[in-house]
Amino acid sequence: MEPLLQQLERFSEVLSVSGTAHVSTWGPETVRRALDWARYLRHVARRFGGHARIRSAVERRLRSLWGPEGRGLTSFQALGRGDVQLFLSLLRNRALGEAAGRALLLQLLPGAGPRDADAEELQARLARLARYRAALLLLREAGSPGGERPALAEDPVLLTQAQLLLGRLREAREAEAGDPGGWLGRVWTRAPRDHFLQVAAVALLQPLEKELGASGPETPGEESQLLVRWLLEQSEVLAAFCRHLPAELLTSVAGRHPALSRAYLGLLTDWGARLHYDLQKGTWVGAESQDVPWEELLLKFRSLWHAPPPLQEEVLAALESSRARGGDFEVPGLSVWTDLLLALRRGER
Amino acid sequence: MDQDFVGLASDCQYWLQKLSAWDQSSTLETQKDTCLYLPQFQEFLRQMYEALKEMDSNTVMERFPTIGQLLAKTCSNQFILAYDESQKFLIWCLCCLINKEPQNSGDSKLNSWIWGLLSHILSTFRFDIKEIGLFSQGLGYEPVDYYPALLKNVVLSLVSKLRESHLNGFNTQRRMAPERVASLSQVCVPLVTLPDFEPLVEGMLTYHGHEPQEVLCPAFFEAVNEAFLLKKISLPTPAVVSLWLRHFPSLEKAMLHLFAKLISRERNSLRRIECFIKDSLLPQAACHPAIFRVVDEMFRCALLETDGAPEVLAATQVFTHCFVEALEKENKQLRFAFKTYFPYTSPSLATVLLQHPKDTSQLSCRHFWLLQRISQMLREAVEDQACGSCVDPFESWFLFIHFGSWADMAAEQLLRSETEAPVAALLWLLAFYYRPLDSSQQRAQTMVVLSRLQLLMLSRSTPLSAKELQAATGEGSNADPTQSVCGQLIRHLFLNFLLWTPGGRTIAREAITLMACTDEITYEIIGFLDQTLYRWDYLCSEAPRSAKLARELLQELQAQV
Repeated sequence: MEPLLQQLERFSEVLSVSGTAHVSTWGPETVRRALDWARYLRHVARRFGGHARIRSAVERRLRSLWGPEGRGLTSFQALGRGDVQLFLSLLRNRALGEAAGRALLLQLLPGAGPRDADAEELQARLARLARYRAALLLLREAGSPGGERPALAEDPVLLTQAQLLLGRLREAREAEAGDPGGWLGRVWTRAPRDHFLQVAAVALLQPLEKELGASGPETPGEESQLLVRWLLEQSEVLAAFCRHLPAELLTSVAGRHPALSRAYLGLLTDWGARLHYDLQKGTWVGAESQDVPWEELLLKFRSLWHAPPPLQEEVLAALESSRARGGDFEVPGLSVWTDLLLALRRGER
Repeated sequence: MDQDFVGLASDCQYWLQKLSAWDQSSTLETQKDTCLYLPQFQEFLRQMYEALKEMDSNTVMERFPTIGQLLAKTCSNQFILAYDESQKFLIWCLCCLINKEPQNSGDSKLNSWIWGLLSHILSTFRFDIKEIGLFSQGLGYEPVDYYPALLKNVVLSLVSKLRESHLNGFNTQRRMAPERVASLSQVCVPLVTLPDFEPLVEGMLTYHGHEPQEVLCPAFFEAVNEAFLLKKISLPTPAVVSLWLRHFPSLEKAMLHLFAKLISRERNSLRRIECFIKDSLLPQAACHPAIFRVVDEMFRCALLETDGAPEVLAATQVFTHCFVEALEKENKQLRFAFKTYFPYTSPSLATVLLQHPKDTSQLSCRHFWLLQRISQMLREAVEDQACGSCVDPFESWFLFIHFGSWADMAAEQLLRSETEAPVAALLWLLAFYYRPLDSSQQRAQTMVVLSRLQLLMLSRSTPLSAKELQAATGEGSNADPTQSVCGQLIRHLFLNFLLWTPGGRTIAREAITLMACTDEITYEIIGFLDQTLYRWDYLCSEAPRSAKLARELLQELQAQV
């Protein structure tokens, strides 16, 4: 067992290195050996996939190797794909020398590797990948002519990335030096922010069992809980989350996660309190330019107003208690909460 | 060898032109054109690979100077890359062009250019927005990890859009525009054999738009049908039925495909024929009267063209048997009246014929009565001058032969009845079954012959010998060639006698040896035995000694031919 696990570690290193400039030192032989190694591990994965003890030993070792970048092998299933991953990693790497590069490409020809009776050869799987890519490109054209994007919650691209995010989160949670919170923080700093928020929102809307790469009976929804907790701890992220995402999406998320709905309402209340009535313009305005304007606030509240029961009642209660605290006025122009309630009720008729 | 390459070189030019034309614009027209040529282009790529793998770089450049351009254009044609195995052959061709020992910078440039092309077709899918690709990479995921999941999500999202569109009736906002559905179907043409696409194929086949005319493109139906017939895709029955209902050529093709399998040189046993037929899903589809009529029409044509060949007859009967089974399993609500399936004959006749007995271990009075009734109805339809030309006699016969086991039962009954039961009806039925075109007079004559034979076979007084029996049957057939089918009838009667009566069983082997003088007759006897055993199996009739004998005889005869 131990020799196998050591090989696993070394191959995982090789895989990580394959994306770096270090490959410039690799020659054709190195490339061939690395691929042979990958093939061997794939064979192991296929043979012992059903063998619980071996599988869990492998997964434990992989967890101890888990790096936040997600390079290298991260799960038992990934063992089965190691050769394709290695190949593509090298293909993308401009640092790879000419001779090594030739050796790599020649692996694509039939019969390049040893014959494995029941496994699909590397080149067949790569060809299939090319087919998938073409399929996705074709569908993108047909599915959204003129570049129209589907609604965020239904966007298959966002959905897939949300599934990936949850998958990684689970790995981070299970790994020894995991620190899922820290990892999320790093992703937040490096990724395009709006996009990250959208993916996070879609991730929070997922039904509890469907997470990409779920291999065993895990406690469902743990990853979502992790994400929620992290969001609640990061005030900056939470503020951006509640500010920049579309109202409908936020309402759906709030409906699912009570802790978030409370935080959301809290933020809305804070933002509302910063508005004052401008007599000249006849409307509510913020003190500073980055304050949330009246229209946006109304939009968000309107969406919440039409949410299903538990949330809707919460919203009503929050608004009414805010109005009561603010003097319980009935006349417009004196309390932002009164005006909000008036506008919302008016909108209903 | 060289000539092949000349042909290939000119093909190269041809395809280069085509690819350039397809490159120019991406309208629905060019898409349709591309899809038409996908199989031929794939074949070309395959041939190209076979040629290239033997050559070195310089020879390649000499022989096929434009090959590089052609392959580069192919790399940007998504329809070709999405089709079947084309991407595989393309990759192989590109690899063959690699210069294994680059001598100069020109060679290196070539290699680097090939590297670029291969990277391109295997590279990460860059979506509209750059951030998305970066994000996935930031998470540490590679395309190989998430392409399958992404494809699955895209497919599911399209399927649910189709379903919504279907359910939302007049709510035009949520509806998918018909042009979009049409272009989606065009785009799916190369992809129908990808397993991940099955839900979408199924969704499109069961999608009914609100337009009066068909929205899906014909190439889509053809591609799906082809994939289904070659078993490259598996679809649920309702989807296949929908396919055939909406695209008539597909149904025709499916029937022809089935015929090719059934009527081969091998002379399949009825069990195997039944398997082929059930596999084809045609009996289930035929529960829909429109499809049944088409299928039936093809059987009718086949019978007419082959002059009632026994293979076609057998196929028709097995098909009907599978069809009736499928009909019984069908949801009761969707049942159509029988006359919608058999519009050319009287509905009551069809109803009676469909009352298939489940168990003939005791040939009860009920069966006898039914046979009488069937005989009477047919006789009226065929011979009654008052009715005139209401029903074409051929149609009555055609309907009757669908349920051929009634005729077999009539023969059995003839040889098992020990009383003086009226057998005229049975005789008429048999005469009609084998010789539908006879005039009433000729039929009467045949009946007389049969009657005489029956009495001979049933007479207990002297056990017959095989030779005597053969002589007796020899009387029935003159040198007249038109009597050849009558000969078939007599042989079948004879065989029934051999199997059913104790006297017959003892002389069975001898008699059959005498009878089977030609190959043709031997095959006929084999067919008869196979059919009888098949029927007995299905009807679970208990006739252990007869069945055993029949099986043994069948094996012996099959060994002979």
